[in-house]
Amino acid sequence: MNAATETDRALVDRVAKGDRAAVRLLFMRHHARIYRFVARQTGSEMMADDIANEVFLELWKQAPSFEGRSEVSTWLLGIARFKALSMLRKKKEDWIDDDDAAQVPDGADTPEVVTMKEDKAAALRRFVDALPEEHRTVIDLAYYHGQSVTEIGEVLEIPVATVKTRMFYARKKLGEALKAAGYDRGWP
Amino acid sequence: MSAAEKMSRRDEMETLLPFYLNGSLEGAELEAVEEWLATDPAALAALGEAEAEFSGTAAANEAIRPPADALSRFAKALDAEAGPARAPAGQSWLAKVFGRVTAMPAGVAWAAAAALLALVLVQSFEQPGGEGNDFEVAGAQDDLAKLPFALVKFKPDARMADIAAFLGQNGLKIAGGPTADGVFHLTIPASTAADYDRIVGLVAAQPFADAVIQGRKPADGG
Repeated sequence: MNAATETDRALVDRVAKGDRAAVRLLFMRHHARIYRFVARQTGSEMMADDIANEVFLELWKQAPSFEGRSEVSTWLLGIARFKALSMLRKKKEDWIDDDDAAQVPDGADTPEVVTMKEDKAAALRRFVDALPEEHRTVIDLAYYHGQSVTEIGEVLEIPVATVKTRMFYARKKLGEALKAAGYDRGWP
Repeated sequence: MSAAEKMSRRDEMETLLPFYLNGSLEGAELEAVEEWLATDPAALAALGEAEAEFSGTAAANEAIRPPADALSRFAKALDAEAGPARAPAGQSWLAKVFGRVTAMPAGVAWAAAAALLALVLVQSFEQPGGEGNDFEVAGAQDDLAKLPFALVKFKPDARMADIAAFLGQNGLKIAGGPTADGVFHLTIPASTAADYDRIVGLVAAQPFADAVIQGRKPADGG
């Protein structure tokens, strides 16, 4: 089995035995998605850089205790989520520097104003970005990270029913925002 | 079906559509979505809307570009880290592992045993205190650069229990290996060349020894 076809779990087994090459392979496979997940969680690419690195160092340390009850990607997202929340708590007053602030949707403009010159795809992307964090996260985890309802529940440590509720309201808000911008899609 | 019931079902289906699109839906929920898509004229349009969300979310995420030097910086941080956390080492742990290995048939692949020895070696380096095991591996406290040693290759059908007992009885330590060829670096507790020759001869005479190559002898050279 070569590196390209070796499963994530097989690589974690190798990491558990002290194989540093295996953790680098997992880094190459998952780092970008973990980085983006944290960047979207925190609104700070600087924090995403630090936390994503910490996630893989944590993988290095915790691999022997990985029991394989979830996918490796779900496990890593869960670690990333925990670390992001921890860091946000520590820096809740002063963690957004001036550079990062420009990347965080400020919600100052109404959808109508912003979308006057945008097409529907651009408007939709902006509305996704502007969703409340708890709604945007389930959207990201489902659409971008390919996570199931159960897996999202594991990552966010919330019940499956709550995942569905958040997804419902996330999509409902997107529909309402699109409708307000002149793109009625018939639901809600 | 009343309008309220129909809307409720629509809400449920709209909630499940993202999971239908990412392929994670299964069982009754998958059947329900597929049935809805096949029977409700509004469903395909809804699926198209969800696909647009899918694309928009992917684009929003992909627009975030990780630093190009992330891997090299991580590799440096990784090099500074010790090995993965493991269960405490000790006689009971080793005895348990050896118990499993020695319970294997005599013809068990030597590669498995070699891997175990390598694991024990790493374990001992990281968590000194393996004294009292069936045998010891050379730890950081030994000045490996100065100790007499020999290179040993064990037979493919050698039993771990036999090797462990022999090493323990003769105060021998594994200081390195196995190499890709299955060769171990064995420290020899000899203070004179005569002692060294005797011990190496003893190793070579064991039925589990496939090959023994003399390495550094004690300084007296005699």
